[in-house]
Parts: sequence; structure tokens; C-alpha cells
Amino acid sequence: MNNRLLINYSPGSTPIHKLNGATKVFGFLIITVYIIMTFDVRVMLPMLILCSIGIVSMKPNWKPILLILSFLFVMAGVVGSLMIILIRPTSGYTHTGGETILIQWTNHFFISKELIWYVSAMFFKRICSLSTAILFILAITPSELAAGFNKLGMPYKICTVISLAFRTIPDIARDYIDIKNSLMMRGVELDSRKASLGKRLKQTVFILSPLIMTSFGRIGTIANAMDLRGFSKHKQRTWYSERDPTAADWVARAIILLVAAFCVYYIVYIRIMNPPPFSYWTPWGYWNG
Amino acid sequence: MKKRSFGQMFLGKWNTMTLVAVAVGAALFGVLMVFGSIPIFTNTYLTSAMIIPVIVGGLFGPIPAFATMLIGNFVADLIGGWGFWFDWSIGNGVLGLFIGALPLYGARIDEGIFTVTHAIIYTACCIVGNAIAFGIVTPVMTSIFYAADLEITFIQAFAGGIANTAVLVIVGIPLLFLFANRFKKRSNLKEED
Repeated sequence: MNNRLLINYSPGSTPIHKLNGATKVFGFLIITVYIIMTFDVRVMLPMLILCSIGIVSMKPNWKPILLILSFLFVMAGVVGSLMIILIRPTSGYTHTGGETILIQWTNHFFISKELIWYVSAMFFKRICSLSTAILFILAITPSELAAGFNKLGMPYKICTVISLAFRTIPDIARDYIDIKNSLMMRGVELDSRKASLGKRLKQTVFILSPLIMTSFGRIGTIANAMDLRGFSKHKQRTWYSERDPTAADWVARAIILLVAAFCVYYIVYIRIMNPPPFSYWTPWGYWNG
Repeated sequence: MKKRSFGQMFLGKWNTMTLVAVAVGAALFGVLMVFGSIPIFTNTYLTSAMIIPVIVGGLFGPIPAFATMLIGNFVADLIGGWGFWFDWSIGNGVLGLFIGALPLYGARIDEGIFTVTHAIIYTACCIVGNAIAFGIVTPVMTSIFYAADLEITFIQAFAGGIANTAVLVIVGIPLLFLFANRFKKRSNLKEED
């Protein structure tokens, strides 16, 4: 199970790994705003390139990343696009403002140049948001995540919940494997190729009930241990993975602030004050009317 | 049995116990979402993870269930690494609010109270919650974030809602009866004032 997890529990050694937790969280939030705010391929492309460079520089384990990418390609790319093309072929017009029909079968089923552009631009946006997420996941460890959120002003109780959740995952995985093995030993068929969907749904009850019981049974113990150590007594707390920002952190934060300034400019000036007539930019110039 | 006011039941008690419960629930939700789900459509899974907020809701109230769902989604997105789908996370959070509302209509899992009437109200809550979460909240969020057509996101969300309701009812109700029974056996002691 562990080799299928993308997130690291121990910090890596590349320059991005060495950044401060707060820097990483701040950067991720700004990049997410950046990707959400725009539908313009020209604006998204530089961020995608930056994120790809970041991901490559961390020398990740490529196997799970490729798996996720291919999954996204099939789900959001192929199936999602086909759905748009079959159900609303006119959405090419509503979102880009032009219609140059390439193939037409009937009045309702046709493919236009703009429809293809719209579908691929939307897929491009998904790819961008996925790559920012992968960058963030590869860069951060759970305790850094909690410390970083706390540094940005989130109440530390919520941050503790997040880091505690990650701390519990290996325990749950271990319990899950134990329960599964003991069920298989008693002759319950858990192989997905041999049991039908209905049967598997029924079997999940067999696995779930002991799993939930053991996990929730631990709550009292953990809560008591935390109370005894004085949890939530003070207004603030320190974090084990909290470090003083280095020079690299200040450089990264300056760059992120610049991006944030651009985001504010883009949202206020382009999205609110001069909204383009159609949400998606196309190279065929419908934006200028 | 102590009476609690509506507001108290809605918010739940936010002590260390509840915080740990939300954390453990979120972890369970994340793990089940990533490793215990069967994809059936784009963005749609038949996942047993949906049960966790029900249990948290039954024990601690709707707002803890909401928090479990939201943080659990965040955890699932982080360990699964498939990117953050905030539109779906927010929809899931809203759903958690509805399916975690068990104490509000008198079902108290931790005291062994879960009857057929409660099961029927629970089913209705699942359907209404799914309709609001995936019929309104998620499509609107998707159209804001990705400028997708409402119709298409609605179809996706509809499939998701159906799958969730199926899991919540088919797996959820037997589990709730099981847990209620198990807690009943423990609670033959009476609390003195």
C-alpha cells in the first residue's frame, strides 16, 4: 500500500523539499487561485511549465504519477469530452463565440473547430490543476502541512486534526490488511475478479464494521493521552517541523508575492472590470468582437 | 438520558475527543476513498468511504460530520494525488451535513437507539442531501471553476448522487443497526445526575 501513496512522510533533499512549510502552503494556495481564475491557455501555459520544472527537479517516483495522469486522461479527457460533444455540441459557441463546423452528421450532432478548442482547453485546465497538486503533494510532508497552515493563520486545532489524520493512515492500513487476511483465512472471497459487484458491496460491510470499530475504539485513548499532555490549554503551540525561513524561502516568497499581485490585477482588471465576452480565449480572435 | 438542545446537537461538543474523532474519521474516509472505491463513471465512485461521516455524525453531530467529510476529501486528494477537486469536496461537505444529522431526529448510535423510523428518515436525508449537494452545490461550483455547462456537470453529479445514495442506504443502514446493537449491549448502566 505504501508504494501507492504519493505523499512523503519524511522530507526529501532537493531545493524545493527544503523550503519552509509556510512557503509551500502559501505558494500552493496562490497557484491554485491562479489556475482557477483564468480560462486563457496563454495565461495557464507558463504556470504549467513552471510546475513541470518543479516536479522534475524533485526527482519523484514516476510510476504513480503516470498512473494518475493516464487515469485523468481517460476520465476527464476522453469520457468528459465525449459527453460534451454528444450532449451539448453548441457549447463550443457559447464559450468561445464562434462556430466553424468541421463535420456535421445531423442538426444536433456536429463537431466545430471551436468545440474542439473548448474541450481541449478545459482538459488543459484540469492538467494544470493536477500538476500543481502533484507538485504540492510531492513537496510537502503532513507535519509541514499542518505547521504551514498554522503559520498562515488557521486555528491550530484544525491543523492538529489534519496532521493527526495523516498520522493515523498507516495504522488504518495495517488494521485493514489484518482484517482482510483474517477474512480470507475464513474463506470469504475478496478477489474482485471472482466476486460480483453486489457480493463485494456486501463484503465491504464485513470489512468495514471491524475496521470502524477498532479505529473509533482508539479515539478515547488518543484523546485522553492528548488531554493529559495539556492539549488545547494554550492559545498557541509550536510545531516539530517548524523551521526558520532561509534565504531560499525569502526568494520563493517574493516570487509568490509577485504572482499574487498578478492574480489580483487579473481578477480585478480583466475578470471584473473588463470581462471578456466569452470565457475561453481562442486563437481566432472572437475576444475583440 | 440527558436532553440536549438543538443547537448543541447541531454543533456537537468540540473537545479533544471530537477533534480526534474527526481526525480518525477523515483518515478512514481518505483511505477508503483511495483504496476502497470502484470507479463507475467520470468522477463517480461506488465508495464505502461515505459511511464514515454517518458514523461520526451519529456519535458526534452534523458539524463534526461536515468537518470529517471536508478534511477527509482533502486527505484523499493528497494521498491519492489526483489533484484537488474543490467543487466535489464542497459538495461532499454539504452531503456530510445531511447524512450526519442522525442525532437531530433522535437516532443515538452511542446509546443504542436506531429504529426502523430512524432508518426511513435517514434514507430521506440521504436522498435530499445528495440532491442538494450534487444537484445544486457541485454543478454550480464546477461551472464557476471550469466554465463547464450546467447540463453536463449535472449529469455527472447525478450519477455521483445515485451511487452515493445506493452505498449510504445499502451498506449504511445495516451498519447503523449493527453499531446501535453493539452500543446497546454496553450501555445497560444508567447515568446518575
